[in-house]
Amino acid sequence: MNKIVITVLGMVLCFSSMYAQETIKLKPTDKKSIDVPEPSDIAYSSDGKSLFVVSDNGYLFETDLEGTILRKADYQGLDDEAVYANDSHVYVVEEYSRKIKMFRLPDLTLEKTVAIPYSGGRNKAYEGFTYNKAKGVFSLFVEKDPLYVFELNEKLEKVNEINLGDLARDISAATYYDNYLWLLSDEDRTIFKVNPTDYTVVAQWVIPVLNAEGLAFDKNGDFIVASDALQRLYYFNNPENNQ
Amino acid sequence: MKNTVYLLFILVTGSIAQAQLSISSGEHNLEISARLSTYYNQRFLNPGEEERDKNRFKLRDAQLIIEGRIKNDWEYEVQVDFADIGANSSTDIDPANPGLMDAFVTYKGFDPFNIKVGYSKLPYSRSSLTPFPYSTYWQRAQVVRGDIFSRRDVGITLYKDLWKKRINAYAGMYTGLGEASISGDNDASGNPEFIGRVDLSYPAPMKYRQVDYVHTPIPLFSIGVNGRYSNKNLPEGEVFPEGATGEYGLKLIDGKKYTYGMDLTFQYMGFSGQFEIHQVNAQPQNENDPLFLGLTPEQTDGKVLAGGYFSEVNYFFKKQKTIVSVRYEQLDLNDLNQGDSKRMSAAIAYQLKGFNAMVKLQYFNNLNQQESLDPLDWNEQVRLGLQFNL
Repeated sequence: MNKIVITVLGMVLCFSSMYAQETIKLKPTDKKSIDVPEPSDIAYSSDGKSLFVVSDNGYLFETDLEGTILRKADYQGLDDEAVYANDSHVYVVEEYSRKIKMFRLPDLTLEKTVAIPYSGGRNKAYEGFTYNKAKGVFSLFVEKDPLYVFELNEKLEKVNEINLGDLARDISAATYYDNYLWLLSDEDRTIFKVNPTDYTVVAQWVIPVLNAEGLAFDKNGDFIVASDALQRLYYFNNPENNQ
Repeated sequence: MKNTVYLLFILVTGSIAQAQLSISSGEHNLEISARLSTYYNQRFLNPGEEERDKNRFKLRDAQLIIEGRIKNDWEYEVQVDFADIGANSSTDIDPANPGLMDAFVTYKGFDPFNIKVGYSKLPYSRSSLTPFPYSTYWQRAQVVRGDIFSRRDVGITLYKDLWKKRINAYAGMYTGLGEASISGDNDASGNPEFIGRVDLSYPAPMKYRQVDYVHTPIPLFSIGVNGRYSNKNLPEGEVFPEGATGEYGLKLIDGKKYTYGMDLTFQYMGFSGQFEIHQVNAQPQNENDPLFLGLTPEQTDGKVLAGGYFSEVNYFFKKQKTIVSVRYEQLDLNDLNQGDSKRMSAAIAYQLKGFNAMVKLQYFNNLNQQESLDPLDWNEQVRLGLQFNL
């Protein structure tokens, strides 16, 4: 019996290397190390000249497009996991405290703090935050177990809650671009293009990035992905740009 | 009929996606979770053996876990296994399942290092530090199960991560009584045990996990070295607390005990592997110590060596939500005694809801039974069960 079991498992292990994923795989065009420790999300500034980066340690940075730090907010948060910027404010989401912090763009001073209670796992809470122009709401994504999106109005009050089921094993970042929502999954190493009204997946691409935690678009509409573990930015051509 | 049963199973386990609950006041967050696992075990006895008491259903885990964090400075955890408390009330403490599993507080507000005090896992052996719910197996390798060195103790641990979390360094002082420490006093020697560990991962930090469930796109490696020392010379006529020396009398030595080991691990595209080796150098103070097996000091040189190693390989089939693992292990309980034991294990786990709900099957095979210090009456064993993290 032991020989049969060991032989079968050995064959399974050998043939597993021949197993191929069907999803399209992207290759980075460039990668750069950044000064921000443990970057957990990135957002493109509205003028396209800089990036806002948050770190697990609870800091908010503005960097140039190469990842060099330009300024840092006078603030220490609790497990910052998502960031979004518009032309007046930068929004930072703290996973651990379940709070959204709203900073004034010109001087990065804290203007407002809003708590969005959630009783799920301490480290399985908010990971993605962006403004969903198609629905006129902010979309706040819960990482996993289960995958929720909370829709918030302009006052950051929760107005809707949607269970996204098995869309991905986890969600680690979210952004809005070209009338679609774009979600990033760390565990699936996948970028999802999502319909912003019903949150169904339109397209998806696998990326070779370890611990992908941040997603943004540059001025050309190409992807920028942040790796938390490697403290790097990865640059990818957006396949949709070539269609 | 088969489809109906499968559908019911999926519907029932679907709601398990709602794992863990937390309460937060903003700065203080408290998380409550539970862990349940149960299996059926079937042993295939050697010819002539009749004791079939291990053919049974067993409740392995019935754990309640409370983890808290206050701002960035304080963390605490209490983890209790009610299944072990029930089992241990009538027998000695099982080091792999001690009942109280964690009760500690960590202070992270001191910049040079973090400080952990209380009862918790010891910073020795990567496998021991890897959380069991992320394993394909129902049982850890023999050498790291807690029979030749303790896995938990009461004491203080100082630790620090360096170089973008690629290096973890630990140093600590403990009672040395291991899992028996929660029963009260130290032994009559009154001496502590000292433990140190350093591990290095490259090119990125690696969590203590057995399986590459992310299909890591770049090869990740980690190497760890650890050592521990105790000098527990008992005064004449004194003995260690009952059960503290463990099944083989190796966990506590009436004398000096040096233990050292190293571990290697890698992850890449769903493949992962672990190798770990440990050696105990026991130097009992008395010439008639049972560990010397009645031999003379000239024959023993005043020391006893014990230890072993294991290596395992795993692959995670992402789409099929299935993990397969194979392990080979060796254990020598006493170098003064001829022979050792070698064992092969294979395991497969199917994820109903990630690691939160898994069906696990493990097959054990004893490749040789020349270790007369621990003769086994079985040759093969199969264990099939369910594991839930809620």
